[in-house]
Amino acid sequence: MLKKQFLIGLVFSLLSLSSGALFAGQEEVWLMLQKASQAARELSYKGVFVYQSGNASKSVQLTHMNYGQGEYARMVVLDGAPREVLSQGSDVVIFSSKNEKIMIEKKRGQNMFPALLPSHMDALKASYQAQSSGTERIGGRDAYVVNLTPKDQMRYGYRFWMDKEFGLLLKVMTLGEHGDALEQIGFSQLTLMDGQNMDWFKPKFDPSKSYVMDQDGPAKANSAEMDWDVAQLPAGYRKVDQVKQLVQGKALPVTQMIFSDGLASISIFIEPLAKGARPKVGHTVVGATNFFALVNEGHQVMVIGEVPEAAVTQFAKAVSFKAKK
Amino acid sequence: MKEQISALMDNDLALEDAEFLMTALKANGEASKSWATYHLIGDVMRGNKVLRHDLTASIMQEIAKQPTVLAPKPSLFKNKQVAFSVAASVAAVFFVGMVVLHQQSQEASVAPIEIAQAMPAEYLRAHQSMSPSNAAYFIQPASFSQDK
Repeated sequence: MLKKQFLIGLVFSLLSLSSGALFAGQEEVWLMLQKASQAARELSYKGVFVYQSGNASKSVQLTHMNYGQGEYARMVVLDGAPREVLSQGSDVVIFSSKNEKIMIEKKRGQNMFPALLPSHMDALKASYQAQSSGTERIGGRDAYVVNLTPKDQMRYGYRFWMDKEFGLLLKVMTLGEHGDALEQIGFSQLTLMDGQNMDWFKPKFDPSKSYVMDQDGPAKANSAEMDWDVAQLPAGYRKVDQVKQLVQGKALPVTQMIFSDGLASISIFIEPLAKGARPKVGHTVVGATNFFALVNEGHQVMVIGEVPEAAVTQFAKAVSFKAKK
Repeated sequence: MKEQISALMDNDLALEDAEFLMTALKANGEASKSWATYHLIGDVMRGNKVLRHDLTASIMQEIAKQPTVLAPKPSLFKNKQVAFSVAASVAAVFFVGMVVLHQQSQEASVAPIEIAQAMPAEYLRAHQSMSPSNAAYFIQPASFSQDK
């Protein structure tokens, strides 16, 4: 009797499991994305992924380890100029070879592939619709496919491929307004690792070359000092940071505000126009990145983001200057 | 040569280093002409009322060219008028030149440039560096031209 009940229960749970995968509702799909976000940070793996944007394509070797003491990752750009990234927790150090020197740049952490998704899905739920879209094979592994469709014109769509077994993000594609692929990153090979050998966690560069530390990091900008504001942000975006920094070839520091909806990000640059400087105006696009520049109240306003033209335009026009006291 | 003259005037070039320039200037050739022209441009741009170019000299020259008439009042009056009109016309030409010069310098500096013609690579780099999720920053850095 007990055995029979158990069997029926098993059959039912199997049925619900398979139907869940086939006709995954919104919630299940979001859970899949949530799992991908966690897996990318918690698992240990190594592989090679390919980044493609427009005509450019580069392979990157990635090693990622997490064994309780935190995350360690090393990325080596295999094509073009030698470049390496070592990260430990949220500290990131970039080594790039430039002429006869090696530039070393320290910066704060970003959500880097395959950990591109934010830790929480709530922000994304406000701006995107999630749909399951079958299964596919990527880099030798079986994957679930999930589409994120934007709810408005202020962001692109995305397609994610997630490993069936480990939940890890295998590939992501940025989709233009007409469903065309603008940019994609995906593993061409991937293996899970175990063990705690950390021998790989060091940069491989010619020790005879001289090192240059890139020190001029951006400084935090104080809102009170600013005489401008961004009124009426497009829905879903929030300000994540604002900094002041010296940009090459500019006498005065440039203020940069960074906005994000959890996936897409936009920067607004504002600087007083120097006397005699030629202001930049208009729109242009490179790959998935749109640019929009205008002049407002004697200031150069420039907006750059991996978002559609409509979004950079709206951000640029949303900048308003407070009345001079 | 011309750049160095300009640098000398702007105090970007030490006098000690400009010995050859001084020699060239004294030789009274093209160099000294440039020297005078640059000062003139400088004066116009600064809006100085006293124009250092040999305007005064040329006016004086024009006046000197006029025959000196030692005669009673009426003709003296007439001559003065001629001298005045010559000076006025020189000044008028000058004024027009100044306006044109001014306009040119303004146009050259203020005309906006289309962003597509001048890709702001340094801004793109800053954007990529600061955005919370960005794959491109270290893989495909912003200086497109440099990296390819």
